[in-house]
Amino acid sequence: MPEGMSRRSFIKLAAVATTAAALPGCEPAARKLIPYVVPDENVTPGMPTYYASSCSECGAGCGIIATVREGRATTLAGNPANPISLGAICARGQAAVQGLYNPDRLRDPMRRTQNGRLVQISWDDAEQMLTKRLAAASKAGKDRVALMRAPDGPTFAKITKTFLGAYGSTQDIVYESVSVEAARNAAQTLFGRTDLPVYKLSEAETIISFDSDFLETAISPVEMGRGYAEFRTPKQRRGELSIGHAFYVGPRMNMTAAKCDDWVAVAPGAEAQVAWAVLHELVAQRWVSQNSGVDLDELTTMVSAYDPAAVSQRTGVSADLIRRMAQAFGKSDGAVALAAGDDESLHLAAYILNAVTGNIGRTMNFLAGPTPPPPASLNDLGGALTAMRDGKIDVLVINNVNPVFTMPPTLRAAESLQRVPFVVWMGTVPDETANMASLLLPTDHPLESWRDSAPRPGIRTLGQPVTQRIAESRPAGDLLLAAAAKVSTNLPWKTTADAVKAEWLALGPQNDTDAQTEFWTKVRREGGIYSNPTAAPVKLSTKGVKTPPPGDAASAELTFITFPHIFLYDGRGADKPWLQEIPDPVNQIVWDSWAEINPDTAKKLGIAKDELIELKTEHGVIEVPALVSKYVHPNAIAVPLGQGHQAYGRYANNRGANPWQIVAAGSMRITVAARGTGKSRRLITPLGKSDMMGRSIIEAMSLTDLQKGIVPPTGEQEAPKPWEMYPQYAYNVHKWGMTIDVNACTGCSACVAACYAENNLPVVGKELVDEGRIMSWMRIERFFPDTDENAPNIYVTPMLCQQCNHAPCEPVCPVFAAYHTQEGLNGQVYNRCVGTRYCENNCPYKVRRFNWYEPHWDEPLDLQLNPDVTVRGAGVMEKCTFCIQRIQHAEITARIENRPVRDGEIVTACEGACPTRAISFGDMNDKESAMMKRRDENSLRNYVMLGELNTQPAIVYLRDMYHEKGKA
Amino acid sequence: MNRIFLPLALVWLIIGATVIAFSQRPWLPRMDVVQPIPFSHRVHAGLNKIPCQYCHEYARRSENAGVPPIERCVGCHGSGILGGIKPVTRPWTDHTQPSFEIRWNRVYVLPDFVKFTHRPHINAGIACQHCHGDVQNMDRVVPVKEINMGFCVDCHTKRHASLDCVSCHH
Repeated sequence: MPEGMSRRSFIKLAAVATTAAALPGCEPAARKLIPYVVPDENVTPGMPTYYASSCSECGAGCGIIATVREGRATTLAGNPANPISLGAICARGQAAVQGLYNPDRLRDPMRRTQNGRLVQISWDDAEQMLTKRLAAASKAGKDRVALMRAPDGPTFAKITKTFLGAYGSTQDIVYESVSVEAARNAAQTLFGRTDLPVYKLSEAETIISFDSDFLETAISPVEMGRGYAEFRTPKQRRGELSIGHAFYVGPRMNMTAAKCDDWVAVAPGAEAQVAWAVLHELVAQRWVSQNSGVDLDELTTMVSAYDPAAVSQRTGVSADLIRRMAQAFGKSDGAVALAAGDDESLHLAAYILNAVTGNIGRTMNFLAGPTPPPPASLNDLGGALTAMRDGKIDVLVINNVNPVFTMPPTLRAAESLQRVPFVVWMGTVPDETANMASLLLPTDHPLESWRDSAPRPGIRTLGQPVTQRIAESRPAGDLLLAAAAKVSTNLPWKTTADAVKAEWLALGPQNDTDAQTEFWTKVRREGGIYSNPTAAPVKLSTKGVKTPPPGDAASAELTFITFPHIFLYDGRGADKPWLQEIPDPVNQIVWDSWAEINPDTAKKLGIAKDELIELKTEHGVIEVPALVSKYVHPNAIAVPLGQGHQAYGRYANNRGANPWQIVAAGSMRITVAARGTGKSRRLITPLGKSDMMGRSIIEAMSLTDLQKGIVPPTGEQEAPKPWEMYPQYAYNVHKWGMTIDVNACTGCSACVAACYAENNLPVVGKELVDEGRIMSWMRIERFFPDTDENAPNIYVTPMLCQQCNHAPCEPVCPVFAAYHTQEGLNGQVYNRCVGTRYCENNCPYKVRRFNWYEPHWDEPLDLQLNPDVTVRGAGVMEKCTFCIQRIQHAEITARIENRPVRDGEIVTACEGACPTRAISFGDMNDKESAMMKRRDENSLRNYVMLGELNTQPAIVYLRDMYHEKGKA
Repeated sequence: MNRIFLPLALVWLIIGATVIAFSQRPWLPRMDVVQPIPFSHRVHAGLNKIPCQYCHEYARRSENAGVPPIERCVGCHGSGILGGIKPVTRPWTDHTQPSFEIRWNRVYVLPDFVKFTHRPHINAGIACQHCHGDVQNMDRVVPVKEINMGFCVDCHTKRHASLDCVSCHH
């Protein structure tokens, strides 16, 4: 049969037809309704329930409000009662839910067999195995059981003490990978304090950051971001409209440096000299406070080697710039210097700068009250690991830290762990450390268990479980207490929940059960206890101050620097797909690590873009693709931490390189030999262009123009005279709009993460991002200025659907899926959309996203999905809706209560997440709304994106602000 | 050979497509839903005049009307007057079900891309019967009206409720 259909093909076809007919007959999953036996009176099915809790993604101590739908946490927002978060949380905090629902979480206890394989065991067997080993170890002698953990809250610390005490040990190793030891030592030297100060950026007029990425990972990104926005907002100071002036001294331009007025590029290690030179100038000019209590004569001799001219010679930083920094710092009404890194002399200089200008007690405070204990010092850590290698530890319990991944080779973590006969790993997603453990115990995610924290005096946060367990996990504290209960009979508590409750009740009223119940309800509702602590009086003593060696810092030596990634931090964020897919704010790279290298250095070394650079130090070698960028000092090659996992789940495994492998303990910088390998791996970015091609997408204006009331020319052609073919829309009730302050936006991407969480946006993965298939409705638009003259270092702003009045997307839709709503939104009806993508092509803002593939969530990540928002299928266009589900919710509530929608009642996900409050949402029909007032009060700074297209967006941006160069 | 098989295959395909198109639309209300318990709305809502929201208590507060918790059933039936607890604990038609867990079968199913919420409708004074029919006269609940977009829009037009697509499709 040459051209015919065989009997076989007929049967095949017939089979296909039959299957096709049978398929829709399959029952959808939700065909059953299962009622409660006894309903929970606090839960209304179909409506969200909110729980206050605390964020455990970093140590800042933000409070969260978890939105829970039918028992499952869907989104997290900041807790307005908590003074650190004040209603906002960062991208890392929002992504905690992806840690909770991570598909690679360990589900059952595992034991490692002789041949290294993991076998599943029951909880009973696991506990028996653990207690047997622990008992044997404690019998063998004192201190033969060790526990390594993250800097947890006070209650967990007590539980660990109880556990270790029961087994005759004091080996409580509190491990934090990114060390702030130098800052602590400096505070100890100068002020005799063991804690770190708290900064108030809003009180300052000048900020000098010596390589402290205070808007990213240092300190608290939410609190500092908020402070920085207040610092930058134009306000009256000494009878003149002004904005704060910020300098950043460091080898690479990170997001913080980019948002500062001046990025002072210095070779790695030269920051301290610049800092001391600033101090020299301050002292020489007597721009010091009279009652700072600093011995100026002594200080004068200390700074003598750091004359700006001399330092300029040694570091290449212009003496004029140093003088300007000193002037701005010394002559301002409130200033703050921040420092980071392992150079103690740098921290000393920063503290002294704050002290001599009388800013202690103002912008920088040491708080009175109990402060959290510091994590183990490098010495203690080294000692503990040596003890392991010497066979002095029989059982090592590791809870929620990953020393094998985050410890530099000099600490020999892997070797030390190998020498411990029995390593118990407790955590959620098995990581590199779990690979070396004999027993793996799945513990609760923080969102599933009780915990607390005391980040600083005056603030104690309470973390309550917000969702039911996803896996067969148990709270880490319960495991420790159960093990302790086997040998000790008089334990104060049986479970973590008991412990937390007992500890918290001790803080409240005593001897009165009613008052205690009330107190317990109150702290759970507010997520903690907050008070305003007073600043502790401190006196500066310059005894024992180390000044940096006044040597030639600007040597030709190439230095490798690494830094915590804004989202992945030290690597702990790498298992969360949102954090992998949201591009980093400055370089806009996703799913990979990169090596920032200056074009000059790259040329000298013969390294091309995307070429894998072999970075070789005395401790190891890594290969990282080159990102040739002028925003890094020629003497430095910078690689972010975070990637390079060889375990830690499917999203983290086998991506990029781990810089911890090539640095020495206690420092993130090291001399490096770099060479191109000839191989290359393309760095993936969703970004189109890095410059605006002369168009005014993000606009900025100088402070001088603002003072004079001059609206700067936009560089665009004149917008055409309004000539309307169609009648104007009548917005009878509401017209939703937004005001976004570009000046306040730092690029932190908290809004992007919030949008992912609220609107069920799928993560597409590295390959599809490369094809332009990223699904983010909201992105951080980033551009660099064409010239260095009179422009901000960077242009960043949230870019989302502009909800145009004259939307180019609407008239091109052949099926009316894109249409104009009665409240001024550009609606998108998913079930009407046939996927022509005309709207996307016609959108000048590139904010529409097409589902090229069926979106997919690895189970159980789908439990995070917001039931208020449709999950879009393949072939459908989608875009920002201004969180229409929240608008609907508020409008329905208002109608039921027979009142208009209140201003501020609707908070979009991005607005709620923004730490700097750059975004306000409101009704454009209501001239009294906070959003409209913000426009009016900043009328000079108003602009709309691509205004000449006459799309009449509902989003009005406020221009970014900058100081004209050369003006302090 | 070929001349016979090709049209035959086509006919088969067409039959299949027709079956898909007309017989089993999953979004259609289903007339054939049989519940695990022969629960009678006529007896409860009709004869005994129990208000709808006594059992479907979330209707005015939430997206879902809610199925009554078993506690609510036992509240009356457990008193002994009404035949004791038996009717609740013994599902009659489906003996595989565990007691104290009733797996009701849905009668009304909306597709995923429609967001219907009971809250505004109940508060606007729409009678339950308007959409669900005279449930108080039914022993076994069957849909009376096809809840499709035309049905919604009809009423929304008459009552000047929102006709914005995104009010329901988001």
